[in-house]
Amino acid sequence: MTEPAAKAVEVVELGKNYGPVTALKSVSFSIESGRYYALLGPSGGGKTTLLRLIGGFLRPSAGRIFLHGHDVSHLPPNRRPTSMVFQNYALFPHMTVERNVAYGLKLLRVPASDIRDRVDRMLAMVGLVGYNRRMPHELSGGQQQRVQLARSLVLERDILLLDEPLASLDAKLRKDMCLELKRIQEKVGITFIHVTHNQEEALTVADRIAIIADGELVEEGSARDVYETPNKRFTAEFIGDNNVLEGTVSDVSATGATLDIGFAKIEVPAPAASISTGERAAFSIRSELLRIAGRDEDIGASWQVVPARYVEDVYLGLTVSHLVQLPDGTEVVARVMSDSGDNGRFEPGDDVAVGWPANRARLHVA
Amino acid sequence: MYDDFANPWTIRLKWAYLLAVVFALLMPVFYTIGISFNLHGFGARIYEFTFDWYRVVLGDTLLVISLKWTLYLAVATIAATIPMALLSAKFYKRTRRKVAFVALMLSPLFVPADIMGSSLLVFFKNLAKGFAWLGQSLGVGWFDSWFDLGFLTAVIGQIIYTHPYAFIVILITMSRYRVQQTEAARACGANAWQAFWHVEFPQIRVGVFSSCAFVTILSFNEAVRTALLKGGFDTFSNMLVAQMLNIGMSGESYAMAGIMSIVSMIVIGTVIVYTLVRAERLERRARAMAEPVMSG
Repeated sequence: MTEPAAKAVEVVELGKNYGPVTALKSVSFSIESGRYYALLGPSGGGKTTLLRLIGGFLRPSAGRIFLHGHDVSHLPPNRRPTSMVFQNYALFPHMTVERNVAYGLKLLRVPASDIRDRVDRMLAMVGLVGYNRRMPHELSGGQQQRVQLARSLVLERDILLLDEPLASLDAKLRKDMCLELKRIQEKVGITFIHVTHNQEEALTVADRIAIIADGELVEEGSARDVYETPNKRFTAEFIGDNNVLEGTVSDVSATGATLDIGFAKIEVPAPAASISTGERAAFSIRSELLRIAGRDEDIGASWQVVPARYVEDVYLGLTVSHLVQLPDGTEVVARVMSDSGDNGRFEPGDDVAVGWPANRARLHVA
Repeated sequence: MYDDFANPWTIRLKWAYLLAVVFALLMPVFYTIGISFNLHGFGARIYEFTFDWYRVVLGDTLLVISLKWTLYLAVATIAATIPMALLSAKFYKRTRRKVAFVALMLSPLFVPADIMGSSLLVFFKNLAKGFAWLGQSLGVGWFDSWFDLGFLTAVIGQIIYTHPYAFIVILITMSRYRVQQTEAARACGANAWQAFWHVEFPQIRVGVFSSCAFVTILSFNEAVRTALLKGGFDTFSNMLVAQMLNIGMSGESYAMAGIMSIVSMIVIGTVIVYTLVRAERLERRARAMAEPVMSG
């Protein structure tokens, strides 16, 4: 029998108000020790507020924060087992790279020889050997973020908070740094909590993802679950490239529900939440699961198929997006790999059929 | 902002205009200093260079005592004003009501010196009476001399006068400081004081030292408030003004004015030179170390 993993972070009904403005509404969740956890959501949704509450930079208006089982809600940042990497401007500009990384160790009164060793080891880990004497302004954006990372990791705290650490980097560097962060987290084995509004970044680094929007925890799960089987409509619209269609529940069975979308009745697997006939609902289906075919073609036995009219295709490099219009005027997107033979088969205005595996659609009640 | 197509003569003319204005503003000061080194004083046809007037000033016990009092006043004002201005500037960065806060901080500047001085005089007189009454009521003599006109009241007057200037100077330097650095220091384990002392202060040090210099100069130059609030001692400015009003400008007066001008210029010049040299040194070091930086 396996022991349940210890909780590194537990947040209980945590809320934060700025006067009349509510930035975070009674959020509860927990993070297992050693996880790479991403807080993902649109800007202004409350994810940075949540991270800063965990780090002790903000005082909660309601709720409690437990780190490794200890209530730290009332403790300042320097008395919590956390360290933090900021978006930018956070290196001490009057100190060399070495002094920046050594700063926390000096505060802990670690002997000078140990400090040197640990700083060198940490700079090696983040790929900055020989940069000890450089000043922060002599480093590129990516290097500065690596120094921040080294400065946090050298303290050997249990939880590392990362507040949009890659937001100011260019796309290529961001991708490289994502992999680098993941590699480092696996190596050091501590809990990383990474705030980002970039879904690709979150999916690349995180074991688990929490979707935060409008000050609420919308959904939480493994990166794969959140991407492939989102429970909430918001998640489906925010992550990946999902088509969302609305309708009325016309029938409910043990295995699923039937959704009347006006021009067709769609079979959708039943969600965890209970639903009833006559209720308004929506379903989502990822664009890469959609297939476009001629009206007379057989797409597949267990596929849900609806008629459509071909509108256009848009080349996106790796993939091509095909836009089709359903009989009620709704436009949906089917995405296929650029080198697939399915591209270029249809002209704008052609009558087509669009289908998807019936068991892959997700029903969203709220 | 310059661009490649700007006429260089426009820029030169602007500089010439600027220098002419500064020169016109400083001309009377240099003229006064010039006279202070003339053995024959103001209006003489012959100019004979001498330090005699300065010797007279520095040999005059009353003047030397007044110079000491001015120095004490400056030191006490700096000791109180700079931390207050620093706290005000830090508070400004945190408050959401920035306009109201700045208006409040700068409000002493909008009150003329004589009005402010006389208002404080009346206030301290009444306060002293109030304290004396309190002492009498309690049957103790301990409160009797509080807020009698003297060094303390003069310092308070100076603080009210110099605080807005020190606040502005520190605020300008502090505006470039990023609060994330304080948070980063806290995340590294520093308490609030350590984060300030290790990370914030080194970056605003120039502003703090500049405002110290500024407060020193203001303390030396201020006469009206001090005259009303000082009680039983005289400052250098008070002596100078009194001498000018009672016996007119003498060679000694010019030397006194010269001392104040020269001290002011030396202090300001030192701050400017230090700032420029430091900036140049940092840039040189950055250039020297700026080998090709690997991207990523």
